[in-house]
Amino acid sequence: VKASAAIIGGGIQGLMLAFCLAERGMRDIVVVDAGYWQGGASGRNGTLVRPGFSSPEWTRLFGHSHQLWLGLSRRLAHNVMMSRRGYVVLAESDRTASICEQVRRVNGECGIDVRPLSKDELRRRVPALNHGRIKSALIFDAGGTAPHHAVMKGLLAACRDYGVTLRYQTPVTGIERNGDRAAGLILGEERIPADCVVIAAGAHSPGVAKLAGVELEGRPWRLEACAIEPTRASLGPALAMLDRALYMHQTARGEIVGGCELTGDIAGLTLAADLPILAHYARHLVAMLPALADLRILRQWAGHIHATADFAPLLGAHPDCRDLWISAGWSYGIAGAPGAGDLLAKAIVTGEIDDRMAPFSVDRQRRGKPISEGAIVVSH
Amino acid sequence: MEKLWKIGAGSINIRAGRPDAKAGREGSSMDRGRRAAEKVTIRWNGRPVEARAGDDAAAALFAAGIRVLGRSRKFHRPVGLSGSFLAGVKARVDGLPNERLDQIPVRAGMDIRMQNVWPSGGFDLMALAGLIPRRWLGGGFEHPAWLPGASRRFQIWESFLRLMAGGSDAVAADRPGKVLPGKRLAVDLAIVGGGPSGRQAAVAAAAAGRSVALISRGRSPGARAAALGADLPTLPDGVTFLAGHEAAALYRRGRLMVAAPLDGGPAKLIEPARILLATGRYSVPPLVPGADLPCVFDLSAAVSLLGRGIDIGRIVLIGTGDLAGLKIRLEGLGAAIAAIRPAGHLIRIAGRVHAARAVFTGGSEVECECVIHAGPWRSDPALPFQASADGEFRLHAEHLPGHIEIVGSAIEPNEAVVHGPALDDEAFVCPCTDVRVAEIRRLLESGYRHVEELKRLTGCGMGPCQGFPCWDLLAAALGAITGESAESFGHPSYRPPRGTLSIAQAAGLADLVQPEASS
Repeated sequence: VKASAAIIGGGIQGLMLAFCLAERGMRDIVVVDAGYWQGGASGRNGTLVRPGFSSPEWTRLFGHSHQLWLGLSRRLAHNVMMSRRGYVVLAESDRTASICEQVRRVNGECGIDVRPLSKDELRRRVPALNHGRIKSALIFDAGGTAPHHAVMKGLLAACRDYGVTLRYQTPVTGIERNGDRAAGLILGEERIPADCVVIAAGAHSPGVAKLAGVELEGRPWRLEACAIEPTRASLGPALAMLDRALYMHQTARGEIVGGCELTGDIAGLTLAADLPILAHYARHLVAMLPALADLRILRQWAGHIHATADFAPLLGAHPDCRDLWISAGWSYGIAGAPGAGDLLAKAIVTGEIDDRMAPFSVDRQRRGKPISEGAIVVSH
Repeated sequence: MEKLWKIGAGSINIRAGRPDAKAGREGSSMDRGRRAAEKVTIRWNGRPVEARAGDDAAAALFAAGIRVLGRSRKFHRPVGLSGSFLAGVKARVDGLPNERLDQIPVRAGMDIRMQNVWPSGGFDLMALAGLIPRRWLGGGFEHPAWLPGASRRFQIWESFLRLMAGGSDAVAADRPGKVLPGKRLAVDLAIVGGGPSGRQAAVAAAAAGRSVALISRGRSPGARAAALGADLPTLPDGVTFLAGHEAAALYRRGRLMVAAPLDGGPAKLIEPARILLATGRYSVPPLVPGADLPCVFDLSAAVSLLGRGIDIGRIVLIGTGDLAGLKIRLEGLGAAIAAIRPAGHLIRIAGRVHAARAVFTGGSEVECECVIHAGPWRSDPALPFQASADGEFRLHAEHLPGHIEIVGSAIEPNEAVVHGPALDDEAFVCPCTDVRVAEIRRLLESGYRHVEELKRLTGCGMGPCQGFPCWDLLAAALGAITGESAESFGHPSYRPPRGTLSIAQAAGLADLVQPEASS
């Protein structure tokens, strides 16, 4: 059977796209993944969801995505546990305070609700914070968290209900080309002919693109996170600390989950965790949330994202190969997945490139049109 | 008998070590010793309890007749000291959640409170959770479709869930905290495990002029082995003895080790040229209903109580190997053993709040006050896994790096987990997070087979134990249900630092380590 769409990568991007394509009536969709279900970044991330950033490009895409998050449980007929407990952005310096100011302005222009948090309200919402260090704080009241296990379970079930073929632990060994177009997948001895091929393979996306004989800018980038032993509610909203490239929240089970980034490259695609990021994250916590200092770290883990030159996702058709679509380069992939799946499915089915998706085109660097976004906690 | 341990400058010297001496037990022996010991008053759920100085909190509470030390996360089952499952020894101590009662010594005025209760251990409305049908609480009772995410109803539900699942109240917002600057230690040889094999290796290496660090979780390492008659070699002065330290993590294929003192002091970053893992073997509880009840002990926990002269009542002893010989040893420690049986003959353990009856194949039943299991014996795979695991899509344990060796009983083959003649749906594969065999069976029927997926769907092994022994029990359940070999299912990744390193301790290592350069 010829697939209508063969999607490489069964993480949240791949499954969301398969679901959105199926919702639009497409059948014979195949998703393949080299790892196990939830084994990639979609099972290893901070699970934070926010609608707005400091650039209009990000804010329009993620604002749309956020609207879709709010209705996702109903669409999937499965509780995705989207929690609107608020998403707080903290600034400790003039530089980041001015980013916060820009976030307010841009979100206002894009119609996204964000407001400054007064010192009193911040003290009430996050009492354990070291308030003396805070220069500026913003809150997205509708932002929060969405645990990946819940949405992944809902997507898996919904895709199965639509008859999507899902194959995990199945590495793609080649992408078949037919002249200037992508024509299917090669899985060892097996061939899957397809009308179109989609690369949504997370950190592995640049390597997978080479199988089609094309380049995808960016490279794998290792991040690490950890979970602290559970307690009852001690953090209300999700927190992003711009000066420390740090994000954290407390799960419904009470564990405090978060991570930070160290400047400089972290070598290798291994999933083995290391000490430096954990130790620096811990030092940030002692500085900013000293009350937590004696709690113990339950576990830490590593994961990989595909970091593009401007840290923005690559979304759309590949310029060098027809019928090859890309949803890659994600660093805020959980927040962006419903929007990306919706707009990319629309593009694949109707051929129409939505304005909210267009700036994230795959060849934007080549065309000299990078996106400048300063309100993300991955470093530049 | 006088104190056996002389502690000074981070090292412990053993004075006595005859095989038949009751060396290594804290205090001396039995009731005579107990009566003579100094008393302190601690508080349990607000009420005063008299305790013997030198005991750990779990032993002190047991000696005072307190069997139930906590409640499980979802079903609100009673849990207590077991030696196997850590939720049973986690409590709030002096305002700090999740302290391990089997590892902290009592001190006068210590305030211990049961976790996972509300509003208090004395008046616990969360006990009503016990009335909810267990089949409704699969996966973490967190997916009710009638409360869609992002709705107002869900926000209320989530607040309730956070109260139910979080265990203990948050720390006080004004609790002071600071970085505990870590210490770096480069040694020729790091040995993990203070039992007989670890000590023998330390003695030999020190005699050959090597610098040695011996890391041991126990505050009185080797106590179990000594109580059961093993010879404990005396450590020479040159050995850096990190007693009461957990080998929390191995990084960079075993080139870096983090040792965290259990008393909350500064962590050590150890750079060993060689590592010996002498971590021994643990008795894995039978996969039968009731094995999660308070008063079901592994041999080590039982010996620790008996060695302190604490009466643990009428005992059913199960296990593998020479149980008759073990019975004599335990009776030498004052144990009252009602029956001994092979572990595989046990069908279930009955009891309302603690073990009260053991039911065996052939219909025989034995009344008891506790069950001790001494086998099947299995080694904890966490450190070898951390030292060798690599992979892009999944961490796979590979060959141990050449500078790491496993010694002592830890290299002996693992014995198969026992589950009676037929696997029972009501047995727990992960008691701390309330994962039953029934839930695993249902997921298998829905097509989930990968242990990493099963972990994410159930939370199995994501509680305080971080996978051991629960992933051994998970594999055994999968093997028994499918008829395939348990080992063929493997296990999820054993992740550092396993709840043993505090934020303050980890923060103190930040200046001691740099990221590895890009290759």
